[in-house]
Amino acid sequence: MEFNIDDLPVLFPYPRIYPEQYAYMVDLKKTLDAGGNCVLEMPSGTGKTVTLLSLIVAYQQYYPEHRKLIYCSRTMSEIEKALVELRALMKFRAERLGHEEEFRGLGLTSRKNLCLHPSVKREKSGAIVDARCRSLTAGFVKEKREKGENVETCVYHDNLDLLEPHNLIPNGIWTLDGLMRYGEEKKQCPYFTARRMMQHCNVIIYSYHYLLDPKIAERVSKDLSKDCIVVFDEAHNIDNVCIESLSTDITQDSLMRATRGAQNLEAKISEMKDSDQEKLQSEYEKLVEGLKGLDEGRQEDAFMANPTLPDDLLKEAVPGNIRRAEHFVAFLRRFIEYLKTRMKVRQVISETPPSFLAHLKEYTFIEKKPLRFCAERLTSLVRTLELTNIEDYRPLQEVATFATLVATYEKGFLLILEPYESDTAKTPNPVLHFTCLDAAIAIKPVFDRFSSVIITSGTISPLEMYPKMLNFETVVQESYAMTLARRSFLPMIVTRGSDQASISTSFQVRNEPSVVRNYGNLLTEFARITPDGMVVFFPSYLYMESIISMWQGMGILDEVWKHKLILVETPDAQETSLALETYRTACCNGRGAILLCVARGKVSEGIDFDHQYGRTVLCIGVPFQYTESRILKARLEFLRETYRIRENDFLSFDAMRHAAQCLGRVLRGKDDYGVMVLADRRFMKKRAQLPKWINQAFLEANTNLSTDMAVGNARAFLKQMAQPFSAKDQEGVSIWGMEDLKRHQEKMAEDMIVELKTAREEEERERKRREEEERRRFEEERDRVSDYEMDEDDEAEMMALDARIG
Amino acid sequence: MARPLDPLGFEDEMCPVCKSRKYLNPDIVFVFNPECYHSMCLNCANRLFNDGPNQCPHAGCNKTLRRKGFRSAFFGDLAVEREVDIRRRVAAVFNQVEDDFETLQDYNNYLQMVEDLTFELVNGTDERRRQAEAQLQAWEAEHRADIERNKKAGREADEISRVRLAAERDAVRQRRIEAIKEAEAEKRERVRSREMELDNLAKGTTAMTAEPATKVQLKRRGQVNRVAETASNPAIATTGMGTGASEVERLSIRGLKEKPKAPAPQGPYDPFGGMDFAPSRYKLHGGLSHPLMEKYRLDRQHVAGGYSFDDFAARALYEAFAGLGVFVEDEKEVGSGIGLSQETSMAAGIAAVVDADKMDLD
Repeated sequence: MEFNIDDLPVLFPYPRIYPEQYAYMVDLKKTLDAGGNCVLEMPSGTGKTVTLLSLIVAYQQYYPEHRKLIYCSRTMSEIEKALVELRALMKFRAERLGHEEEFRGLGLTSRKNLCLHPSVKREKSGAIVDARCRSLTAGFVKEKREKGENVETCVYHDNLDLLEPHNLIPNGIWTLDGLMRYGEEKKQCPYFTARRMMQHCNVIIYSYHYLLDPKIAERVSKDLSKDCIVVFDEAHNIDNVCIESLSTDITQDSLMRATRGAQNLEAKISEMKDSDQEKLQSEYEKLVEGLKGLDEGRQEDAFMANPTLPDDLLKEAVPGNIRRAEHFVAFLRRFIEYLKTRMKVRQVISETPPSFLAHLKEYTFIEKKPLRFCAERLTSLVRTLELTNIEDYRPLQEVATFATLVATYEKGFLLILEPYESDTAKTPNPVLHFTCLDAAIAIKPVFDRFSSVIITSGTISPLEMYPKMLNFETVVQESYAMTLARRSFLPMIVTRGSDQASISTSFQVRNEPSVVRNYGNLLTEFARITPDGMVVFFPSYLYMESIISMWQGMGILDEVWKHKLILVETPDAQETSLALETYRTACCNGRGAILLCVARGKVSEGIDFDHQYGRTVLCIGVPFQYTESRILKARLEFLRETYRIRENDFLSFDAMRHAAQCLGRVLRGKDDYGVMVLADRRFMKKRAQLPKWINQAFLEANTNLSTDMAVGNARAFLKQMAQPFSAKDQEGVSIWGMEDLKRHQEKMAEDMIVELKTAREEEERERKRREEEERRRFEEERDRVSDYEMDEDDEAEMMALDARIG
Repeated sequence: MARPLDPLGFEDEMCPVCKSRKYLNPDIVFVFNPECYHSMCLNCANRLFNDGPNQCPHAGCNKTLRRKGFRSAFFGDLAVEREVDIRRRVAAVFNQVEDDFETLQDYNNYLQMVEDLTFELVNGTDERRRQAEAQLQAWEAEHRADIERNKKAGREADEISRVRLAAERDAVRQRRIEAIKEAEAEKRERVRSREMELDNLAKGTTAMTAEPATKVQLKRRGQVNRVAETASNPAIATTGMGTGASEVERLSIRGLKEKPKAPAPQGPYDPFGGMDFAPSRYKLHGGLSHPLMEKYRLDRQHVAGGYSFDDFAARALYEAFAGLGVFVEDEKEVGSGIGLSQETSMAAGIAAVVDADKMDLD
């Protein structure tokens, strides 16, 4: 399908388009033209990714600037999906345009997923893969090899150096799989191919962290130009990603290993002093001059980068008291010992960075400034010592990261020391949380650097919350409704059980037998009437476990068992994936199954239950966060202090975005259908916080139901859905062909003309009024001016007179 | 109950004198004497040193210790404890701050010098330690005044930051209390309006009255919000003022010290103060000729006195362009202070010059 938006020709790889897709494109274009940011909410399963890509690619190719697209997504499977969509789009474009465009699109993920080295790729943990890869590919390893020393290197990485540096891979769209295959074929490292080609790509697709986490962003995304278009897809959790990227936790165990790391460093330094004094000396001299070795710092294989954001980075020479390697190690040891002592305290402490620094200075004479340079100094030292087993120094790096962060940021951070894991625990297991409270800190450089940032998701309501929390301005803020030819999903709020007693998972009543029994009844009833798959969400693992055991005692599970298989999500990823697989099998062969899972777990984000995999989603209780957590409390207080967001507003916003995510799981397209049940008394008041597309489908009659009424409604709905429904019925309403689109565009144009006309008339009137006023003023002025002129004439006369006399 | 795991191992220390452990005696307290940094349990210290000075019980250590010197350690690692004690001493002497230096390089060199010295004191051999000690004392003697001054300044800075932190904490607490109060008030309000509604219903008043009630409620909520905002804003404002005032009093801008600037090199003396006499609106070419002037060039009467025709041309051109940069309108506005008579006399002057020009050219 081919059409124009204003002057921009868009190629859309499908013969038909949804109305909301078109509206999305129009708004997107508006944002790009204006060069600002936007927040867009588009219902899940309406082809958000392909809409986004086709508009932005069209934009890139049509305008001469060729702005680069940075598309950030959450998981690897989403990245791969986006790449596949992009490839299909480019294929379609090539067919339509009759020639292949010069276009390169790449995806980037961690080394673990892209490694080809025969032994390294077999490692299980990503951190170990990273460390081993670095030990084979670091700059000094290559130098050593060139000097003729016998060191192991990675042949895949070395082969890259034989190629042209700006043309490591031909044009085209490379999915992660395709990249791996190409790498295997040409014996070149896919990871470094992608990393080095980022400069020369039109589209980059990678995970949030490459842009938000300062430790990674510094290395990976530094050289991207200012006019890039940045898209954050599935961004409803972006504030949490931002916060996590700047928070660190320090445990006793990590401190112990950090101590060991410091000891190792010390040993290495003295070793090097004996053998290779020169190198230490040259490092020292560099630090004295404050050069910092710019080229070296940029190396892609650097051990670690500074965790602070580019704005806050000090562009100074390293302070004199940590210039010498042995001084720096002693400095680190002192800092670690101090932390150990702090950990011995047996009561909860929460303090701000300035007060922590003041205490630190009092007891260890460590000033703020050298502390700020900690991470950078450690990187430099590790590079100088040419350490290869970097994995051993990770805890030390964590401590250095913490040191740098605590000395850099005064506001928006808090240190919380929790000596016990829970309130009831007797054995101390202290953890020092250094938590970031302000999501805006991490994302600020992104907004500062890139002119267009697009934040989009299926459920990102209420829209105004995000600009507030992340502290940015938007050009467009829009939520799109879902156009449907028939009501294909049925949202309901169940507030009472079959015995008319209200149901809720609030703390006071959640374990009352009557509430538990009512929830059990709800489950059995829906298990009876739902065809195929059914998904149930609980607010927490803890509650899920307790309610399941109570149901077991009441014999409810036996009743459910008659209709469906029961599967449970656990915190263990592998068990969960096994459960999911069984669930899918059961749904496919007609047995039907129930998946019990947690609203903040893995299943609730990113796993789709389309068609028969999910016909009913049951949300038991409002998925509030655990409010007793000290970190959450601190954050709530911060939000209130800084952004004037009230505690309850934030908590309910957070709960509802998770509930919306859960509900969105079952509806993955326009031909899909499903029942959505929100089972809690408290949902009645929070209805307005659901995304627009869910909210508009709510009928007043479907709220405040009791179990039996809800079951009756659902039964009628499912019966209706079972009627034959041909795709043709949707045309013109929820799917547009070319003519429909033309008609819409004409109508829009007409509307625009009418609007412009009225605006012009208004303007005209305004102008006339102003003119009138102006004239009046002018006349007045002139009266005054003419008086003045007369004066002047007199003056001239007098002057002439004077001259004559003179 | 199982013993707690203790990965750092500092809970299973053993007193080297009486061999009792934390495991056996959970209340055991370890102390050490900064003379030699050997630790022992409090009981042993009391037992050994209560009767006056005694030798350290550690094998090979022949320091004489007194009970008074014993204290418990802040750090788990006594080596660090010792280092920090030394640092305390060094920091008291080397207490210069960044403000005292002109360049960053100087400051960094100073920092490194201090660190080198400290390092020697902590890890050096006896010989070097003595040297470092001597250096420390020499510095102290040399910079006594500076040290005193910095000590005082440091105390003041600490005091300011302490006050500021306390003020901030207070403000936060205040605001928290206010927020709680606000939430409570709102809750009460809600309950009250609900009761009122119920009362209305009970009295049988119809929807007519119920509607205004909700309106009133809405209005009231808005009011509460506004009141709350104004109430919390002054809180911010006043706290800001509070800290601000103390800061204004002793405002200090941290950073490197101002460098004394060397005076710029001076050129040769120019009596006109750099004024440029070259004409800006035209250019003089030598040998300007005019048919009217040619006859005078040959006329002896004119040439005899050394009359230069180039000078004449220069003067004529100067006078011709003299008024071009002046706009009467502007002058009127700017020079409104100039009296009328002055203006007229100026005009007359200009007219005279013009007449003179004419005459000369004839």
